[in-house]
Amino acid sequence: MTTRSQAIDVSGETRARRSLYWQYMVEPFLYLSPAIVLIGTVMLIPLIVGISYSFQAIELLNPFNTGWVGLENYQQLWSDRKFWIALENTFWWTFWSISFQFLLGLGLAMLLNTQFYGKKLFQALVFLPWAVPTFLSALTWAWLFNPVIGPLPHWMVALGILSEPYNIMGDPEIAMWGPIVANIWFGVPFFAITLLAALQSIPSELYEAAEIDGASAWQTFTKITLPFLAPMIAITVMLRTIWIANFADLIYVMTGGGPANSTQIVSSYIFTTAFRKLDFGYASAIAVALLFILLIYAVILLWLRKKLVKI
Amino acid sequence: MARIELRNVVKRYGAVEVLRDINLDVEDGEFIVLVGPSGCGKSTLLRMIAGLEPITAGDFMIDDIRMNDVRPRDRDIAMVFQSYALYPHMDVARNMGFSMEIRKDPATERASRVKQAADTLGLTALTERLPKALSGGQRQRVAMGRAIIRDPRAFLFDEPLSNLDAALRVEMRLEIARLHQKLGATMIYVTHDQVEALTLADRIVVLNGGDIQQVGSPLDLYERPANKFVAQFIGSPTMNLVPIKGRPEGVTLADGALLKLPHLPDSPDAIELGIRPEHIEVTDQGDLSGIADVVEHLGSDTNIYLNVEKLGPLMVRKHGNIPIRPGERVGLRIQPENVHLFAPDGSALRRASPNMAA
Ligand SMILES: Nc1ncnc2c1ncn2[C@@H]1O[C@H](COP(=O)(O)OP(=O)(O)OP(=O)(O)O)[C@@H](O)[C@H]1O
Ligand SMILES: [Mg+2]
Repeated sequence: MTTRSQAIDVSGETRARRSLYWQYMVEPFLYLSPAIVLIGTVMLIPLIVGISYSFQAIELLNPFNTGWVGLENYQQLWSDRKFWIALENTFWWTFWSISFQFLLGLGLAMLLNTQFYGKKLFQALVFLPWAVPTFLSALTWAWLFNPVIGPLPHWMVALGILSEPYNIMGDPEIAMWGPIVANIWFGVPFFAITLLAALQSIPSELYEAAEIDGASAWQTFTKITLPFLAPMIAITVMLRTIWIANFADLIYVMTGGGPANSTQIVSSYIFTTAFRKLDFGYASAIAVALLFILLIYAVILLWLRKKLVKI
Repeated sequence: MARIELRNVVKRYGAVEVLRDINLDVEDGEFIVLVGPSGCGKSTLLRMIAGLEPITAGDFMIDDIRMNDVRPRDRDIAMVFQSYALYPHMDVARNMGFSMEIRKDPATERASRVKQAADTLGLTALTERLPKALSGGQRQRVAMGRAIIRDPRAFLFDEPLSNLDAALRVEMRLEIARLHQKLGATMIYVTHDQVEALTLADRIVVLNGGDIQQVGSPLDLYERPANKFVAQFIGSPTMNLVPIKGRPEGVTLADGALLKLPHLPDSPDAIELGIRPEHIEVTDQGDLSGIADVVEHLGSDTNIYLNVEKLGPLMVRKHGNIPIRPGERVGLRIQPENVHLFAPDGSALRRASPNMAA
């Protein structure tokens, strides 16, 4: 009697375990499979194909010399002076663009978080650059910097920044500031919008409590506002950094990477390599390098965010 | 230490008048309790004193200096918010010590003050937690700690104990009383709890619909309410109201019985009589009788809800355990010396001598 019931128990148990395994480990993925297949085809496969290009020689001008070349593209990249210049340019381009976009955006957001007459109109104007097509704003800024038709060089002379009115985008030393200024103008609204949203989510009673506790405006800003904005700042700065580092439109239209590669950033270099020199293998290698640099940056920033943010 | 004065203070939000012509003198070191129904403007009044809400009209003075336009941080007043307003990104200790952090007091002094406050409030084990990991009552105590760690001229409390359980509430109430004795600071305290109001207050301010109904000591309000609203608002259970006809020598009840009230000379004008549940005696030789409807045995007291013919419902509270069953007929006697009479406009009628009621 007992043995029989035990036997039944055992077999029942294993059957149950097997069906549990089926139910929890396999079945869910069957339901998910359409999504997995979709994501795989639209995201992973292009990525893999792109990375695999970087290990091949694919030059449209040299169609008979294709095939796997191992790390050759990367070796070439390591000793490519233009790449290192572009990398340095990318750093400064991204750094100055982000810094000014962020600071001006934060200032605007704080301003828009107060009440004043004509706020609605001002708000609409602030957000306008975001809606202008990149190509159009690049052309407009190129003209503004042109001393023949634009006022900016003359103003800069008046302010003592330039000795005579010339086009700063013709001077390799400072040419990068042309696209950077255009990019700042273009990107401030993004920070203003996102930071304004974050500011508005801070409960007003915290400011009241801080005021009662005797905090000055600056102390309130550093001890209440900034900690609350920190998660939003980390995420927006990260997204924008990646975006700006990849954002070659303005540069391409305004300077085309010149003069003498002084405004060439990595992504515009990828673009020229792929579509001017038609060397897709090498372009892919540069792209993979950029991808890794940005990945490392993102990991560091996410880690910092986790360390700093308590809410 | 501060004397707080409000002179003809008005608060309007656009066209909505929330507070009308508020006049109040708070003596140095006095404990004032604000009571009133929800939405009557208690928090608004407190926030105006703290400086968080602009005063529409009138004068607000601390120690004879007009403070209407002085910023909150220059008023040196601590406040416990109804919604706690704890800083969610700071742990309990930093929340409590924030005002000292702002003043850049030495860290060691801050730590010892925080520890002392945490001990007083029973928060010692929680000082490293963030507010989101606290219960409502614990948060409320942190908010209290934030106020008591300072040494302000005055304290404002907006329902600081509303989220505590009964035992903790009693404990904290005693703690606040002790704190008041120790610091001797002026305190203004908002509460919905009758017991808190009656036990803590030097004087109670009853607000309703944006007006001060009456200001007085707890006993004053209980024994000599200025009008029907105060009479019903103060005291628990609520005062019974019975329609009557005023006569020179007293009043006649609806069933025709005459109740002689020599101590109420204005009785001809009265249309309503108020009597507290504890001032009705259960006796066989009473002037009334009613059928017991519901009987509640609270142990220390018995609440009897009665239906009296022609008069309507009455509630009687008796000390001790009274063996009355629902449906029984109960004889009642209204204590004439504890009767309140109200005129048609709701105001209480004059008494012959202030000590009659005692
Ligand atoms: N910004 C505002 N605009 C218009 N009316 C307001 C505003 N703030 C508060 N009120 C009104 O003022 C009145 C008083 O509000 P207050 O918060 O002082 O009430 P309270 O007595 O503290 O009530 P409770 O006991 O519920 O806390 C309420 O009727 C409320 O609707
Ligand atoms: Mg309130």
